[in-house]
This record gives sequence, C-alpha cells and structure tokens, in this order.
Amino acid sequence: MPIVTIDGQSVKVDHGQTILDAGKKAGIWIPTLCYNPALTPGGNCRICMVELDRGGWTKMVTACNYPVREDIKVSVNSEKAIRIRRGIMKLLLARSPESNELKTLALRMGVTGTPYPTVTESQRNCILCGLCTAVCEEVIGHSAISFAGRGVDRAVAAPFRQASEDCIACGACAVICPVGTIQVRIHADTGEAEISPFKTRVKLLYCEECGAQMVPELVSRDMLDRVKIDWKEYRERLRLCPECRRKRTAESLGLIASKQKD
Amino acid sequence: MIATEEKRIQSPAELEALQKELKKSKSTAVKSVHVCIGTGCAAKGSRKIFKLFSQAAEEMGGKVTIDTKCVGCHGFCERGPIVVVQPGNILYQQVEEPDVEEIFRDTVIGDKVVERLLYQDPKTEKRKKTVEEVPFYKAQHRIVLKENGQINPTNIEDSIAIGGYSALARALTTMDPEQIIEEVERSGLRGRGGGGFPTARKWRSCREAEGKQKYVICNGDEGDPGAFMDRSIMEGNPHLVLEGLIIGAYAIGASKGYIYVRNEYPLAVQHLTGAIKQAREMGFLGKNILGTDFSFDVRINRGGGAFVCGESTALIASLEGRAGEPRAKYVHTVEHGLHDMPTNLNNVETWANIPAIINNGGDWFASIGTEKSKGTKVFSLVGKVVNTGLVEVPMGITLRQIIEEIGGGVKDGRKFKAVQTGGPSGGCIPAQYMDARVDFDELTKLGSMMGSGGMIVMDEDTCMVNVAKYFLTFLRDESCGKCTPCREGISQMLHILERITHGEGETGDLERLEEIAELLNEASLCALGSTASNPILSTLRYFRDEYESHIFDKRCPAKECRGLFSYEIVQDACKGCGICAKNCPVEAITGERRQPYFIHQDKCTKCGVCIEKCPFSAVMKV
Repeated sequence: MPIVTIDGQSVKVDHGQTILDAGKKAGIWIPTLCYNPALTPGGNCRICMVELDRGGWTKMVTACNYPVREDIKVSVNSEKAIRIRRGIMKLLLARSPESNELKTLALRMGVTGTPYPTVTESQRNCILCGLCTAVCEEVIGHSAISFAGRGVDRAVAAPFRQASEDCIACGACAVICPVGTIQVRIHADTGEAEISPFKTRVKLLYCEECGAQMVPELVSRDMLDRVKIDWKEYRERLRLCPECRRKRTAESLGLIASKQKD
Repeated sequence: MIATEEKRIQSPAELEALQKELKKSKSTAVKSVHVCIGTGCAAKGSRKIFKLFSQAAEEMGGKVTIDTKCVGCHGFCERGPIVVVQPGNILYQQVEEPDVEEIFRDTVIGDKVVERLLYQDPKTEKRKKTVEEVPFYKAQHRIVLKENGQINPTNIEDSIAIGGYSALARALTTMDPEQIIEEVERSGLRGRGGGGFPTARKWRSCREAEGKQKYVICNGDEGDPGAFMDRSIMEGNPHLVLEGLIIGAYAIGASKGYIYVRNEYPLAVQHLTGAIKQAREMGFLGKNILGTDFSFDVRINRGGGAFVCGESTALIASLEGRAGEPRAKYVHTVEHGLHDMPTNLNNVETWANIPAIINNGGDWFASIGTEKSKGTKVFSLVGKVVNTGLVEVPMGITLRQIIEEIGGGVKDGRKFKAVQTGGPSGGCIPAQYMDARVDFDELTKLGSMMGSGGMIVMDEDTCMVNVAKYFLTFLRDESCGKCTPCREGISQMLHILERITHGEGETGDLERLEEIAELLNEASLCALGSTASNPILSTLRYFRDEYESHIFDKRCPAKECRGLFSYEIVQDACKGCGICAKNCPVEAITGERRQPYFIHQDKCTKCGVCIEKCPFSAVMKV
C-alpha cells in the first residue's frame, strides 16, 4: 500500500486510489466541483489542483483523479497551490457571477471577488463541470444530455438543443449540479415536470387513490423496467402515492380493516 | 511498368529481384521530366503542365523514350511550379503552360537550357542550372524529403526501384524487435511532432505494456498554422511513412495501425489510400508480410477539423468515435490508449525517419545533429522571407543560416524583426539571437520551442502584440473547452489584448496577462492550454516596449493596429491630384489642385482609404 505524505501527514492508501482519497483520510480539505464519488472523475474544473513533489521540481496535478501507484509527497496548502486554485476560482466567478453556491465555495477558499470581467456567456452560471451529463449517462443510463459545441461555445444540451426524447425528468442532474444551474420546475396547470434549462417536459403521475402528485411517469416506467417482478398487484401499488401504498399493503396483510369490508 | 501476375512479394530475395528489374527498365528512357504536383505547385496549375509534357512525350512515338512523371513536393514552393529534367538534375522554376514547348524542344530533345526559367541568385544575378547549385538546396541535408521529386507517389514501383521497403525486409527477416528498438535508441531519434520525446523509449514502454491487442498510430493531423511538413511527406512519399509504421508495429508487437490525417489534406488522403492499396497487393501489408509470421494492416481515419485532435489522447478519443477531447495523462497511452489497449502514437516525420535508420544504422543518424538532438528536421519556412518553402536541415544549424542562406533573407529589403517558431505553442525570437542553434533545447531556453517545425519570419512592419493576438484567437477557437483555465483563461487574455490593440489598454494589463499565463501554464489539462501563453510571454519578454507603447502612448510602433498610428501626406511626393480627398469618407483632407494636400488629424478616422487610393504612394504611416 503506497504512502501519501500530504502536507506533512503520512497516510496509506490502496494502489490506484487518488490523492483526494488520501486527503480525506488525512482530514485535509481539498475543494472540488466536478467530482462526485458515484461518478468517474473528469478532472476538468481544475479546482482541486495540488502540488506534487517530483524530487527537485514540482508539478501541479488534479487530486480527484491522480492515481497513487507509489509513495508520493503532495502539498495541498503550499503557496503556489493556493495561488493556482484561487486563480481558477476567480476565472469561474467571472464566468458564473450569480451562483451563490460558487460564492460560498469561493469564500471557503479565501476568494471574495474576481478581478476578471465576464467575457464568456454561460447558461445560467453553468461551469461546464459535466456532473449532470455524467450522472445521466453512468447512473441513470439515459444520456439525455451531453456537451455540445467546442471551446467557449461549449454547453450542456439535449440533441439539437431541443427537448430531449430520452429524458425521464428524474431530476438527478438538478440534484448533482453544484452551482444551481439546473432546476426542476413543477407545472401544476399542465401536470408536468420540466427540467430547466433543457426544455424537457414530462407528464407527472398522480396517485390513483388520493390524487397526490408523485414522480414523473417515465421515472415510474423506468423503475418498472428495471425491477423484474411480473406481478399485477405490484404494478398497481406503484400507481399510488407512498401514503396510500402503505395503507393498501397494510390492508392486504390484514393489519388494518379494509375499506371494502365495511 | 512491369506487369506481374502474382504481385505479392514473398521474401527479401524477391524484393531485391524486383528492384533490379525495375531499375533496368527505367534506364531505357533517354530523358525524364519530373513535374511537381504537390499542393502548392498544383494550385498554380502544374497538373496541366504535366499533361502537356506527357502529350509531347507521347507524340514522340517510338523514336525516343521520354519518361514523364508526377512527383511530390520539392520544397521550393516560392518558385513553383517546379520542373526537373533528368539526367542532369536541371531545375526549372515558375514554369507556365506556354513554357512547356520550349523546355521540351530545348532541354528534353535537345541538350540546351532555357536560361530565363533557371533560378537566378538575387545577389549575384547568376543563373543556377542544377538543383545542387541552387542556394536554397545547398545547405539542406535531405533524409526524409530525399526522394520527393524523384518518385511518383502514386506508383509503388517507383519507390521500390530506389530501395523502398528494403528496410522493412531487413528488419523483418534479419532483426528481432528488441534489436530494432536498440537501433532506434542508438540513433537518438526524438519525436518530430513537437514533444521531442525519445522514440525508442516510447516504443519500449509500449512493447512492455500488457494488452492482448496493441496499436500504432501515425499522427497526420498537422494543425499549426503555416506548417506543411507532414503534408508534403504524406503527399510526396507515402510509402516511406508506411514502411516506418510497419517496422515500428513489428518492433512493438502491434497488429493494427491507424493513420489519422486531417480532412483538410485531400491529396495526402488520396495518395496514402492508394499507397496502402498497392502495399497490400504487394504483400507489404496484411498477413505474413514478406513470408514471415508478422501480420499487420492499417486504416486511414480522417480528422473532423479540430486542431486539438493533434493531441494524442484527443486523437484517440476521435478514433474511438467520441468527441475529440483530451484526458488526464497520468495514465499513459502506451499502457492504456486506443480502446484501453497499449498504443504507440508518433508523428508522420518521426515514422518517416525509421527506414533510413534501419538501412544506415543508428550510429549514422546520431552522427548528424547536436548532442541531444540527432538527425535532421523539416521546417516550413514562411512569412516575410524571399524563399518560402520546406527545408530539411541538420539539427544545430543556426536560425541565421536557415533564414539568410536558405531563405534568402527578408523580402522586399525590409529589416528582420523576429522569427516565430513552434506554431501557437511557440514564441518569437528577435534579431539578437539569430545565431542560436536550432534544436529541441536551445529554442526552449529562449522562451520559444522548435515545435513541429513552423518558422514564420517577421519584419519591421509586424506588430508583435498583434502576433500574440493572432495566435490566441486561433487557440480560443480551437480549445476543446473542457478545462477551466484554457477555456476561460484564453478568453480573458484575448479580451485584454483586444483592449490593448484598440487603444484601451490600462495600467496593470501586463501583470494581469502574466498572472493568467501562470494559471494556463500550471493548471491546464493538455498542452494546448499549457503552451497557450507562450506567444504572449515570449513577445512580452523581447518586445515589452511595444506593449507599453500600445497601452500608455496609445500607439502601435509597427503601424499595424488601426487607430494607433496616423496617416500623413508626404509633401514632396504629393502631386495634388485630389483623389485622396475625394475618397475620404469624413472629408478630413483638404488642398488645392497641384499643391500638396493635407490630412487634418482631428477629423481623420484612420480608415486607410487614402493610402489605398493614392497613385503616387504619397501617403505614409506615421
């Protein structure tokens, strides 16, 4: 097991674990934006850069995906590493000036503002971290959104920037977005959930018993497809809200009096 | 052309026999006319010139055998279309269709030269008859470009006649993979694509990596603006590249290869496609090559128009059908590359050097060049120089020798200001370092890099701030956009440069540029980002005064940035014709007929129409 000496502390990690894993073990905070333990690290936001000692010279590497394969020495809080990370944050703040989440992280890093003007346009503060596209592809399995365009015109979008045919409006992208760009909007009048800004709308399911609003219909269908239970009553239970479902299950187990008996 | 029924060459002996046969048949021709159809000459109509020569040769009938041949780029592109008559290596330049008859009559049938079409030395005004006498070629040492100009790139037999695929025969049948890698190691060959990584070391790492399928890739995605070295090699001698690739595959243990060619090189794609087909027919590609148990085949993939796909991991992503974006290089492609398998990627010129190394030995190669940079390098010499074109020179030659001896100096008698080397990842080197030796390390010390071989000569009329802006604009358009520093940093730097070149520079701009440059340098995901600040940093290093003039004096010393210099009428030269005043959109010029006119600076919008329209060159930039 290789040893990582991180800011003076020595921790053992498994071969192939990352510098970020070592940091967590050592209790040393390294800021991250495009990293999520459930997804393959992209290493593209560059906010987690640390200084790797190469014996005689140093090299800046991203902590989230640098694989530890031998004993290494890393500085998280060297003057240079702090300067570089703060510089990256200042560039991000210039791009996404309205994100409160970004400002909070910036403050924690010791950055209160940015000397740079906003010269690139972003879709509601999007920092192009790619977490939304990664979760949709790797966890949800739908790849409804992806990156379109190159360079400064790069943006997250559904194909042809139109409403997606593959999106199930599960909202995983909204949950994982670190800067609040993606939002789930419920349209009570049309009974739809919308994933903004991707223009996709999916019909919501309403409880057959009490009419309470539930998950989007496509989410329910997806769940049904994944769980191989060919049981009619199971499929019917899923069309009830959790409250009503509990009652129905209790009734069927004889725990409470069934309405029918009365 | 020899017609053979069973084309496949099954052994080195058969190859040798074929070579002898081809050589004999070629010697029956009395004279041979070689017309360059490289993209540069073709753009000036050389294909039609070839047709005319071919027709003339045919009309000779059985009387005399004249051989006419299309050949690849000779490198003297400034003087195209180029026609060489053999024997004698007589070089005709700037040949046009009406000249064909005269050349054919005088030089091909007769034994005279057409003086006016020979190269004329601008200094001595003497005419030079043969290729070797032309100063452009004298100082060159051609290994990779040696056969360009002698062979028809669409005919494999031409290549075989002069020894093509003999290195392959030797490698496959008398050497084992480790010996080949050792030979390449002895040669000291370093990657010619810009990185300069020791080739043998890369091959060995790939050979030792674990994987049930290994790949070799030829990187033909030459993207640097102004660079066309790889293009001319692929167009003019595709079999040389193929031969190197097959030898490398054998040494590494790869059975599949890809040649990634940028789509903007249709002639290179065409010639490579034809070469692969012919090589397969002759058995140099496919199963059991030359009767050994080594099998290898290759495919061409065309790029989609992205500079970033010249980066190895982005190229591999593109080959896999994904968007061409780089990835972290903490895990090397020699271990996990294409389809996660061990992959060896090298540049076109690197592969093209291999056959010569196998044939002549690594020690021979190492005897050329400097201590750490062996062999030769092909440079594309362009810009404000008299002789633009491709030059192949030994490493260690000085910038002065390339620009003055071979290049003929700065054109139009202007003064040399700087030479930009290494494309968008490189920098500008000023006049005081003209005697710097060109190799992988020397230019890097001066703040630039040799890169893939682009050399752009600049004169006193070039604004260095504008040069930095040009490269940065290019990089902003080509950045893949994945990582923050490159995507945001380049835009920020460009924004500052735009302000500076529009007279809106502020105190602190230079410091801001240097700060962002550090971020780009240290934090970028790939080399596009990490070298993006080189054009700015090198011009700041040597021409800081120009930047300061733009920012503090709102003035462009080179008189290139609009609005940052003025126009004045030269009293002595002005004939008082009034054309400038008539065309001035803001009526800022006044005067009387036959009297010198005058530009009122307070009204002038510096649009430049007056200097354009003046028939007497009486308007000057101040």
